[in-house]
Parts: sequence; structure tokens; C-alpha cells
Amino acid sequence: MNAIWIISKRELQSFFDSLIAYIMLVAFLGFSGFFTWLYGQDIFLIGQTSLRGFFSIAYWTLFFFIPALTMRLLAEEKKTGTIELLLTKAVSDREVVLGKFLATLLLICIALVFTFPYVITLSNIGNLDLGATICGYLGLVMMSITYIGIGIYASSITNNQIVAFLLALFIGLFFHIIFDVLAPNFTGWLGEIFVFMSLSTHFESISRGVLDTKDIIYFLSLGAVGILLAELSLAKRNLNS
Amino acid sequence: MKDSRIILSVVLIVGILVVINFISDQLYYRLDLTEDKRYTLSEATKDILKDIEEPVTVKAFFSENLPPDIAKTRRDLQEMLVEYSSLSDGMLVFEFINPSENEELENQAIKAGIQPVMINVREKDQVKQQKAYLGVLIEMGEEKEIIPFMQPGLAMEYSLSTSIKKLSVIDKPVIGLVSGHGEASIAELQQLNAQLSILYQLKEVDISTDSDLSTYKTLTLIRPKDTIPAGELAILDAFLAQGGNLVIALNRVEADMQQSFGKIMSTGLESWLSQKGLNIPSSFLVDPNSGAVSVQQQQGIFVYNTQIQFPYLPIAQNFRDHPVTKGLEQVIFPFASPLNYEGDSSIKWTPLVYSSDKSGTQTAPTYFNIQKQWTEADYPLGKQVIGALLEGKISGTANSRLIVFGDGDFAVTGEGQGAQRMQADNISLMANSIDFLSDDTGLIELRTKGVTSRPLVDLEDGTKTTLKFLNFLLPIILVVIYGIARMQVKRNVRIKRMEENYGN
Repeated sequence: MNAIWIISKRELQSFFDSLIAYIMLVAFLGFSGFFTWLYGQDIFLIGQTSLRGFFSIAYWTLFFFIPALTMRLLAEEKKTGTIELLLTKAVSDREVVLGKFLATLLLICIALVFTFPYVITLSNIGNLDLGATICGYLGLVMMSITYIGIGIYASSITNNQIVAFLLALFIGLFFHIIFDVLAPNFTGWLGEIFVFMSLSTHFESISRGVLDTKDIIYFLSLGAVGILLAELSLAKRNLNS
Repeated sequence: MKDSRIILSVVLIVGILVVINFISDQLYYRLDLTEDKRYTLSEATKDILKDIEEPVTVKAFFSENLPPDIAKTRRDLQEMLVEYSSLSDGMLVFEFINPSENEELENQAIKAGIQPVMINVREKDQVKQQKAYLGVLIEMGEEKEIIPFMQPGLAMEYSLSTSIKKLSVIDKPVIGLVSGHGEASIAELQQLNAQLSILYQLKEVDISTDSDLSTYKTLTLIRPKDTIPAGELAILDAFLAQGGNLVIALNRVEADMQQSFGKIMSTGLESWLSQKGLNIPSSFLVDPNSGAVSVQQQQGIFVYNTQIQFPYLPIAQNFRDHPVTKGLEQVIFPFASPLNYEGDSSIKWTPLVYSSDKSGTQTAPTYFNIQKQWTEADYPLGKQVIGALLEGKISGTANSRLIVFGDGDFAVTGEGQGAQRMQADNISLMANSIDFLSDDTGLIELRTKGVTSRPLVDLEDGTKTTLKFLNFLLPIILVVIYGIARMQVKRNVRIKRMEENYGN
């Protein structure tokens, strides 16, 4: 546990020491803020004290930003060979993967914390449903867990960051929209499976303000599968060399 | 060897996760964190289910093998019925029937009054239309209720609960609509009738001939146009003196839009009310928060319609927290007048509906100037009362209750060609008033469930712009400041390290 924490702290620091964290934070806050407050279906146009608009924008921005964060996690270390250094230390593959996973999740959480001014403003100019808002944020965190899992797996099977990025987007795309688009074309159990696999179904369910064990287990499972597969591909590499 | 073991363990764990997901899909726990618990069954439904005395059978005629969005409605309904069943202590049983399975079941559905709907289904690369049944039959003893087409979402609870309630009310209390003075007839109150017929029976009553008013739980006087003779007002007094309840929605002013003219309207009710301390001045209530009218404008050869805000159509969004107004968001009162209570404290005066914080009045008769540029000076008054409840010894010595609205048309839908749909909240306000006076508040909560709007407070344009840019820029600036500060600290550390005696 301690090793995971040390790795994630180290990784988080490296995010902030390079420009990545700042670019990600500024771009995320810029996009979200722009569409939540200034343009399109912004809060004053809708006139409702609700952050639903922000949540649906963040649902898309995070979808693109998470692969950008995860692409270098393992791919870079593999390319430069530092992964060997890391793995020869007294840490297990799982600890490395989990540490990096945690660091990315923390960075996403930091990004979300920076949007708290939205919550403060809205609760001052209207009657904000706090329960639903908390669920909305939780939905974003849950969704991030899934996409970080996918991203870290993509990063583990290649040395090339661009490939890792595109691969993560490609896999993510299935959960983000493809299953959702396919579902109405099928009846019976196949349609049901597609609906169940579609991330948007679960995200909508949680972000309307209802915590459902079904949804939480779905997000956590996908995240766990990503971590496991990443660990597997690291282990395989060890065996091959 | 080790390789295959890892793969095996991963396959095993993934398999376990699939199983966990499968189980969690069947066995789940849900926590509704919304403030108004809008995804949880309401108290009203719980009360209705607890009061069931005879077994209720719910037959859901739902086709199977449907596209997922419709299959979801089926699942939601099933989940809801499981909850209904457990809340009713087993008095409610349900079954799902698939009418598409065989002809016999299909006939059963059609016989019950459930018609199929056509839906698009994609099969073998072709979109084809398929018959589907999405209806529910509810039976209690000999009585039956059908929901021909189950709407998905929050409307589900309303249709189910009201249908069950409808069946369990045996002798429907009678609500009397006083008539004979140009009041709105049942035909002109279709929407209200649809709401109220669940619990009550609506009946038009001529109080000059109907001597026994005690059979009526509540009397209503909606939009009288002609003079009400003093003798009939005395009958109303007698009704109140027996502890009766009354809802009055009256027009004190009247608008003739063809002539753009507003005039006074007198029926005798206003002086009757004024004897009880309630004055309704013959003036138009004007409110900047108002509905719009469509105006034809000509520019060159073009004639076009524009929507112009018309302050004579106030939209009330200020409600007292009271059973009558529970869950309401906005009610439009076309050509209303304010209510002023100047009576003594023997009658309890509870305002229920207000205009916005800046309102004004315009004394009738008056001409309407559609093009008028309205300014702050036109709204010198604070919020005005549009609807209120009076309780106590209004007439005689018995306690009675009276709800008055300074507008007669807000719940009137009209009939025939001129009929128009009113906003649901307009109808709910009137239905809730009657429910409240008739001591049956069971459906008030359900009626407005799930329509909660959370409007932002009115802000100056400048404040809005400030807030917009503050929220857009502040988080970004914070990130940048943090970045610069971190860089500075790092640089200082580096400089320190470069100093000659670092570490000594």
C-alpha cells in the first residue's frame, strides 16, 4: 500500500513538474467553463439552478483528456527503459500500475475540485440540489475510473504514446457511444447487453441523483479489468525479456 | 508456465467480475440523493397502498423482445410494481402478460381495452413495424381501470397510483360547480375535470333551486359573469355558516383585446367579499414577469408576428409553502386583480400566491398600449396577493374555509373551437385548492411530482456577466497561479543548491 502511495505521489508530482497537468487543467476548465457559462446551452440561458449542463460537457471533455493523461504512464517508461529500473525495485507490477492509476485519478479529482466555484456560485443564486450535484461529480469520478483503466491498459501494450492515446480512445469509443448507438437496433438479450455495456446509461442514471449499486459495480469492474490487463501485459514483458 | 497461470488468473477474475455484474443487475440497492426524492415513491403512493382494503390485481400487457428503450419501460414498471406490492402488504399482486405470444392473450389485451402501438424494429437489416402492447389493466373486485399506454419515466407512478386510488374510492364526494351566472361549465373545465374525477364527482348546481347544499363537500364559483342576486349570496352565507367550503375565482376586471380596452366587472360577489374584509380593487395587476402576446407588425411589405411581453398576464412564481401550492412552479393569471385583506383577526388570512416582488396596478377602465415601454416606475408596489385562504368564522358561528383567486380564467380551458390547453400548474393549483378544502390532500403531492424547476434568481445583466466570466476565468487563473508559484519554489530550491556552501 505504501509503495502504491509513493509511486502515485511521485507520478502526480511529475504531472505537475511537466506542463501536462497545467495544459490538461487549463484545457478542461476552459472547455467546461466556456460551455457551462458562456456559450451554447449555458446556465443563464437555461435559467435553472443545475449543473447537469456541466456534467454532460465534462462527460465529453474527460473522455478525450483521460487518454492524453494515461498515454505516457507506461508507454514512456517502457520506451526509455525506466520501467526496468522501476520493476527491479522492491515493488510489484500491480503496485506500479495501481500507483500510476491513482495518480491520474487524483489529477482528475483536482481538476473537478477547481470547478467548485460553479457550485458555490449556483448555490448562491438559486436553490441547488446538493444531493444530485454530489451524484453528478461522483458519476464523473466513476467514469474516470473506467477510462483510466482503459487508458492504462492501452499504455501498457505499446511503447508509442500516440498509439496508446489512439488505442485508448478507440476502446473508449465503444463504451462511450458505439454500444449506445447499436443497442436500439437489437431486440432481446443482445440489446440488453449493449445497453448494459454502454457507459452513458450508467452515467445518466448516477448523474440524475440516484446512487445505484449496479452502476457503481459496472464502473469499478471496468476499471479493475483495465488494471488487471495492464498488469498482465507488464508481467508478460518481464517473462519475455 | 507462469505465463499461462497469469492469463488463467486474469480470465478467472474477469469471469468473476462478469458474474458480479450479472448478480448486481438483479440484486441492487438504490439511494435517491435528490432533494425532493423524486425517484422514490412518494408519501401519497404509500398512503394509497396502505389504505387498500380489497386485493388489487395489476396485469401488465407488455410485449417482449422490444428495442431496449421500450424494454426499459417494462423493467422500470416491473421494479416499481415490486415496490408497490411490498408496500401494500401483499394486497397488490401483479403479473406480466406477453400478448404477442399467442392470439388468446392478444384478444385478452384487446378485450381489456388495450390497443397495440406500432414501433419500429430493425431486423435483418430492415426496419419494420411491429405491433407492441404497453398497457396495464388494474382490477379491484368488479371494478377495472386501464392505462392503455404506459408512459415511461416519472409519469408512471402518477398513472399507477391514481388508477389504484380511483378504484379504491367507493362513494366519490360531490363537488358543486355553482352555475347560472355565466360561470365556467364542466365542459369549459375539461382539464380540471380530468384531474378531479379521480376522487370526486363534479356537478353543476343552481343554488337558487337546489335547496340541500349539505351534500356538497365543496362549492366552487369559477368566473361568474352575471350579477349574483343577493338572495343567492345569502344562500352561500348559509352554506358557509354550516361549515361548508368555497372556492371563488373571480374576474374583477375584463379585457377586450379587439378594442384594446379593459373594463370593470361587477357581479355582486366583490361587495359580498368586501363585507368579510376582503377587497378586490377593480384594477389590473401588472407584473414584469409576464406572459407574451403575439402582435402583427408591418415593415415595408412584410407583415410578421412578434411576441411582446404583456404585463397584464402576470406569471406567479412566488408561492407560500402550503399543501395547496406544494410543488407548483408557475401559474399564469390572465388579467388578474390583487387581493387586499382588511378584516379583523377573527378570520385567519393566509396568502397563497403572490406576484413578483415588483408589481403594479392599473385602475380600470383603461386602454392597453401594446407598444408601451414599461419602466421600473410602472411597478411601484411590492408583491401582491393573487390567491389566498380564509379560515374561521367567515359567516355565522361555524368554522369554514374559503379560497379566493383574483382571476377567474386561470383554470378555464374553454370549449369547442376556442378550447386551449392550460399549463399543468394552472390546473393543479385549482385542483389542489379543491382537494385541500375537501380534506383529501392525498394526490396533491403526486400531481406535481417530478416537475420541480429550480429557477435562478433575477440578476442584473452586469452581475450575470461578472458571474459568467468569474466562473470561467477564476479556476483557470488559480491553476496558472499555482503553476507559477510552484515553478518559483522549484527555482529557489535550484538556486539554493547551486550556491557554493549548499549542504554544509
